Amino acid sequence: MDKEATIYVIDLAKSMGEKHAGRSISDLDWALQYVWDKITSAVFTGRKTLQIGIVGVGTDHTSNPMAKGADGYNHISILQPISQILLPQLQALPDLLRPSKTDDRDVLSAIIIAGDMMTQHCRDLKYKKTIVLITNATGNIDDDDVEKTANFFKREKIELVVLGIDFDDRDYGAKEEDKSPLKRKNEEILKKMVDLGGGEVVAMQEAIDALSIPDIRPVRPTPTYKGQLRLGDPERYDTALSIDVERYFKTSIKRPPTASAYAVREDGPPDEGLSTVHNLYKYKVKDDDSSGGTRDVDRDELAKGFEYGRTAVAISDSEQNITKLETRMGYDILGFIPIQHVERYMMLDNSSMIVGQKGNDRAAIALSSLVHALHEVESVAVGRLVKKDMAEPIITLLSPLVAKDVECLIENILPFAEDVRSYRFPALDKVLTVSGKEITQHRNLPSEDLLQSMSDFVDSMSLVHGNEEQMSIDETFSPVLHTIEGAIKYRALHPTGGIPETPEAFLAYSRQPEDLQEQSKGALTRLMAAADVKKVPPRTKGRRKYRETEKPLSGLNVEDLFRNEKRTQISPDNAIPEFKQIMQHSDDMKRVKDGIQQLASILQNWVSKSFGDANYDRVVEGLGVLRQEMLELEEPTFYNDVLRDLKKKLVAGKLGSNRNDLWYRIRISKLGLITHEVSQFSDVSQADADAFMSLKA
Amino acid sequence: MADELPYRSKGGADGGARDDENDDDDDEIDETGYKTVKDAVLFAIEVSESMLRVPPASSSKKGDRSSPLLVALKCAYHLMQQRIISTPRDKMGILLYGTEASKFYDEDENSRGGWSFPHCYLLTDLDVPEADDVKALKELTEAESPESAEIFKPSKEPVLMHNVLFCANQVFQQKAANFTSRRLFIVTDNDDPASSNKGSRSQATVRAKDLYDLGVTIELFPISTPEHSFDTSLFYNDIIYKSSPSDPEAIAYNPASMVGGDGSKLVAGSNDGISLLQSLLSNIASKVTPKRALFSSVPLELAPNFRISVKGYLLYKHQKPSRSCYIYLGGERPQIVTGYTEQVAFENSKPIQKTEIRKAYTFGGQKITFSDEEVKQLRNFGDPVIRIIGFKPMSRLPLWANIKNSTFIYPSEEDYVGSTRVYSALHQKLFDDELFALTWFVPRRNATPVMAAMIPTLPAEDIDGMTSVAGMSATGAPQGLHLIPLPFADDVRQNPPTTHEKPLGAPKELIAAMRPIVQQLNLPKGMYDPSKYPNPSLQWHYRILQALALDEDIPEKPEDKTIPKYKQIDKRVANETIEWGRTLDKVVKEYQADNPDAVPTGFKRPTTTPSVTSSASTKRVKSETHDSVSEEKVRELWQKGQIGHLTVAQLKDFCASKKLPVMGKKADLVERIEGWLESK
Repeated sequence: MDKEATIYVIDLAKSMGEKHAGRSISDLDWALQYVWDKITSAVFTGRKTLQIGIVGVGTDHTSNPMAKGADGYNHISILQPISQILLPQLQALPDLLRPSKTDDRDVLSAIIIAGDMMTQHCRDLKYKKTIVLITNATGNIDDDDVEKTANFFKREKIELVVLGIDFDDRDYGAKEEDKSPLKRKNEEILKKMVDLGGGEVVAMQEAIDALSIPDIRPVRPTPTYKGQLRLGDPERYDTALSIDVERYFKTSIKRPPTASAYAVREDGPPDEGLSTVHNLYKYKVKDDDSSGGTRDVDRDELAKGFEYGRTAVAISDSEQNITKLETRMGYDILGFIPIQHVERYMMLDNSSMIVGQKGNDRAAIALSSLVHALHEVESVAVGRLVKKDMAEPIITLLSPLVAKDVECLIENILPFAEDVRSYRFPALDKVLTVSGKEITQHRNLPSEDLLQSMSDFVDSMSLVHGNEEQMSIDETFSPVLHTIEGAIKYRALHPTGGIPETPEAFLAYSRQPEDLQEQSKGALTRLMAAADVKKVPPRTKGRRKYRETEKPLSGLNVEDLFRNEKRTQISPDNAIPEFKQIMQHSDDMKRVKDGIQQLASILQNWVSKSFGDANYDRVVEGLGVLRQEMLELEEPTFYNDVLRDLKKKLVAGKLGSNRNDLWYRIRISKLGLITHEVSQFSDVSQADADAFMSLKA
Repeated sequence: MADELPYRSKGGADGGARDDENDDDDDEIDETGYKTVKDAVLFAIEVSESMLRVPPASSSKKGDRSSPLLVALKCAYHLMQQRIISTPRDKMGILLYGTEASKFYDEDENSRGGWSFPHCYLLTDLDVPEADDVKALKELTEAESPESAEIFKPSKEPVLMHNVLFCANQVFQQKAANFTSRRLFIVTDNDDPASSNKGSRSQATVRAKDLYDLGVTIELFPISTPEHSFDTSLFYNDIIYKSSPSDPEAIAYNPASMVGGDGSKLVAGSNDGISLLQSLLSNIASKVTPKRALFSSVPLELAPNFRISVKGYLLYKHQKPSRSCYIYLGGERPQIVTGYTEQVAFENSKPIQKTEIRKAYTFGGQKITFSDEEVKQLRNFGDPVIRIIGFKPMSRLPLWANIKNSTFIYPSEEDYVGSTRVYSALHQKLFDDELFALTWFVPRRNATPVMAAMIPTLPAEDIDGMTSVAGMSATGAPQGLHLIPLPFADDVRQNPPTTHEKPLGAPKELIAAMRPIVQQLNLPKGMYDPSKYPNPSLQWHYRILQALALDEDIPEKPEDKTIPKYKQIDKRVANETIEWGRTLDKVVKEYQADNPDAVPTGFKRPTTTPSVTSSASTKRVKSETHDSVSEEKVRELWQKGQIGHLTVAQLKDFCASKKLPVMGKKADLVERIEGWLESK
């Protein structure tokens, strides 16, 4: 990336502290929104080559190298020499950027000083040089040197951007009423300066409005493959064709910055700051002879390898690549398919662009013929890409893209056989009986009425009207990315100020547009009537009345068989089914309670007999079933009592020593007390339930 | 620590707490919250005279002369290998029943009370398969006369089905406690095992209900013969349940195999067209992946006050080779070590407690911190939801608008009764009018919200006037709606650098020369069918691991179905490519004549030219990119005995350029090259 140097020349005169044009904040505060946004964005990049300087004009004091030699350079201060801005500099700025007690200043002098700073700093090095002047232009400007200065800027290739507060801009529709003659003259001087020297004058309003559209920091395109795109094997057939191409990302998810872990030491002095956390990787193996059943081992004692099922396969250092497939770099076309056969939802990963090799006109023309031919016959290519020797092959879909500024193949990644999971689901437009007959009228099938009202509703909710598209990709910005970045920038400037609200601009596309909602109201009402969707109540009371016992395919009434079985004692080796059956078949509360007691003691028995953690999974499963059944029975207290009793015995060591791991399992399996929030029949609060999960309480 | 290997986390050590940062986590969830998201499949295969009968040699070309029992075991063997690759954490076991011999854990005939489950032989315990399990099964199925193995001797008295079912029950309880998915696959040709014993029949029904209540699904794979067609109504309809307990809406029978209608769906083997092995294998394969939901309680919101319930599934996801791990060789047998991290302060290496850790962002060289509550608030974009924002024509969904795999959603009646018909109506409309719904998609609490396009499945084209019964796509995608996450403006990269402001378009004649090439090289059926393209790296990885684990010979050559069919390409478009190459030469010459300054100075002349005779040029690329050595140089070194001074990459390049194998270690390569030089 090119080096960049930007100097902000900021008008800090007394008049900048006043409010104008009906705004609720002073001109300076208003204009600084722009400055903070730009500077914090620059800080965010962390780039050393993105350098910023700040010059105050209209300051109470004078601090610049030219003031001694000549008049007219008073009340101009270099507040920040050109350098990379880090947090301390950034945090020092708010105090420096306050309105002064004077209105005496000449912004053109400040521009000259900034230009001087710029050439001193950049010398002959290659820099992108910009000076941004922010002013309300209410002070005198001596315009004698305009042409000379403009020439200097032109020669030094410095761009001057003037952000004028309440400047007139016919194109943007900005016009200040009752503008003073002095300001009008100043606007003209600055305009002339920009016209001669290069740059632009922008009304502050426009600059502020533009802030709501986030800056997208471009990522420098780097090729991810440079080589040939081939059809056929040029080594064996002289009919093979090949084109030199390069591959670049077309899309790539931009993630919000990630926070790293730091440690605060509570015993240390509070201002010592955060210390970096270092991860030590350690390894342990099962060892029945050691306490705790495991033993730490040293990295040097270990071989590298892989798992094959449950078996460890060690591979010696010299053979590390033995499981790697030998491949040779190249991009092969396997064949073509009509574009209407492409199953769009099959694509994995982000997309890329395949373009001709940079600077190779022959390759560009050759590729273009493929792009256009695909386009014309409405086909796409299927390719096999090996990015470099020994890399894993990937299968890709290559589709043509012809645009004004680029012609390329768009590449999507296709799945291999192993990447597809063939889940089966019943069809949506027909229902089949067990015997395979097709039914056309069913509660799961939409009626004519529903189909029609759905069609009307969808039609009334179109986001595309003619060429106008709402919420296109280039108008939607990642809400998480910008919210987090915004919060970091805000926190940097306001260390104690809480966190800002997510700007509305990032939430607009999380809802249906209001005009569409209004427009579709009638269609929606009809759709909802035709759909007749009913919310299932959170829990169906007395579920046994509503839910029949499941029957096998034959429809045999299994319940009768169970009556004959007369299972009253739950057998520990069939505990869960038998417990469920008691819950299903008993209307008698006494039997229910008895069943719960039996299950509870079976669970405790499993715990006390468990060698290590051998039985823990069964215990957790049993508790899970019990909890579920009690929720449905609306008897949370029964479960809570069982859990309390279990914990008491665990803590007292009555179920074997060192059962803390079991409690940990119960906790992470979310099998805690049933709270009032979960079941209204419980009298346990969330706070009590949380406290209960601690073994110390 | 550059060579730090990724270590394996101990299962669930971090508990249910999802790392908020890691929102790309595609793990399937467990709906109950307490179960382990794993699958256990226990095969129960009947052993009897008829199951052991080797079919007479048939004229059918695919005639596979194996007994039904052996076919079932081959399927199990095949599946075991497959599951090691695709679901390495899932368990599998094989129980034979009806055998003379019995085997159940550490029982023997002297155990108190004799055998708990007589004539049940637990061939492979329910567990993550071990190399020895695979080997044992391989040896059984590949033996000289496999049917005569001692363990396959059928018992004289009939086996009691309730015993078999309870045996399975015990295996599941002991080895797969708390699994989200437990299935019993019964393979048999006996449709009436309780014909003689009414009491056993009702006991079996009770034991089947026990399994159902335990959450075990029974899947039946019946075997019919031309003489006898399997009748499920005699016995099995009483022990098989309509829906699996974990998914109340799923229908147990398999619509794809229903094309035959009238119950013939359950018959395998009566069809002459395909062998028993193939049909059983494909039947089992279609059931073998347990359906795991990615999310189950995210509402689909059509309007602010109009929601239906859907579940989400991942149909497409990269299957990667297992990561390498560290192995401890000091014990009796190689053991995989468990890795864990200890966090210490960088300055003084003192251990750090979890409560002392703060998350901080680096900004302007310093750290900016937020409290946990603030971080939560910043990432909170409301409850999980799939919210329809509006609709757009499919033409507004370019192929490049892709950032990751899609999510399939399917309606469920769990939270809203009537969801299925509404979903079906929406699907119909989007399909008919070629529209997609733009949605705001928050798959989980605190997950990064995305905009996603909701599009319908592309149905397979009619074959002989018949549409696929389940409305599936040509590649088997189920009928329904898919959510494709779209890039935000931030995620779209700028165009690559170019030396031309406007793209250099190919002239019409060159496009015309390319057109027939495209038209004449359609893939079979004009489609990309993933099932035809196994991942060669993945298959090779496991092929080698299996060979190492089972002490087999290392295979020489990998099978790679992704390599283009060069011969066919040459055959079909030879004339066309030559014509295209000629035209290209011509138009480039013309272009250069018109634009003498076209090749900007400062640019390296293209190293290779796209050409019709590019075999020579390919080699040139290689030689330039790899800094490889000429034959003369190699010969010179050879004469000095210094071939070993070359790097492995150079040696391999040299081998490749001389069409020598590039496998093996450096010494092998040197030896191979020396041999070649000598022979010349």
